Amino acid sequence: MTTEAVTPKRESVDLDVRARAGRLSRSPVFYGIAIGLLAVAVGQWGHVSPPAAYGLCSACHGRDLSSWLLNHIEGKHLFITAAGAGWPVLTVVGVVLGSLAAAKRNGEFGSINIGGNARMFIYGGIVMGAALFVGGCPTRILIRTGFGDVAGILALGGVAAGIVAATVSMRWVARR
Amino acid sequence: MTVSIVSLLFGGVVGYLGQRSRMCSIGGLRDFVLVRDTALLKGALALAVSAWVGFGVVRLIVGSDAGHGLLAAGTTPSGLTAVAAILVGAVLLGFIATLSGACPLRQHVLAGQGRVGAWYFLGGFYIMAIVYTSWIEPHIGSWVL
Repeated sequence: MTTEAVTPKRESVDLDVRARAGRLSRSPVFYGIAIGLLAVAVGQWGHVSPPAAYGLCSACHGRDLSSWLLNHIEGKHLFITAAGAGWPVLTVVGVVLGSLAAAKRNGEFGSINIGGNARMFIYGGIVMGAALFVGGCPTRILIRTGFGDVAGILALGGVAAGIVAATVSMRWVARR
Repeated sequence: MTVSIVSLLFGGVVGYLGQRSRMCSIGGLRDFVLVRDTALLKGALALAVSAWVGFGVVRLIVGSDAGHGLLAAGTTPSGLTAVAAILVGAVLLGFIATLSGACPLRQHVLAGQGRVGAWYFLGGFYIMAIVYTSWIEPHIGSWVL
């Protein structure tokens, strides 16, 4: 359980433009609007297309990248979607590098080890298997829901049920 | 060529904004259930709504290759087995992702800002990607891309 809920301090209304722009990038709603529209544009015009609504997905793009590497190094014939078959899809690399740049720039970079690493390894494996099974990580499930995909809507309902069950059970374990 | 450049740049934007806003697509519902905090939930809602608006605009401009209605054509899972499989897999995904503390995209962001647990998470993540495509997928097929 991580404590990531941010409670921004209520500042005075008359901020200068630069501070206002800096605060905008910290808003989850701005993230949602910008990334949603960009993901649609990238999926449509950025050649990240053959599966529909494929603009942003950490599980599928990671699968494409790892399969591409194995196919080109080891000569295997693993499954890759048509988008990442020719040149690799590098979204996951970009996410890590972008986050590194943001953390360095704002002085939030630092190695934090809160333990439970073997458990996180197992969780990572299960999450990847389940995400490839239902066709996308939770972020792409949201995008697919916007696309009007029935499988995406079903998966969104299932993920919501899973989150509620996990949260309630964690609270139950903590209170016991 | 274009795919690599575009996806790398877009990934950089996602990583930067994701690190600044602490956005997580499962954290919204978790925070709402736990402490009634709706900040991240609004972000997830904005993501789905803006994707919906964006796809609507694209269908108007391009002239639609994916159906004009609210639901995209040809994306309905075929049969009760597929529906049940998707639901079970999604419940498992939501449950385990919540236990691990963040959605997979947020784990990439955490890995970039130096969380050691996220690196272990990504290790299991990519090993399972290879295991899944090598040995599991040939047996069950992939009905959802």
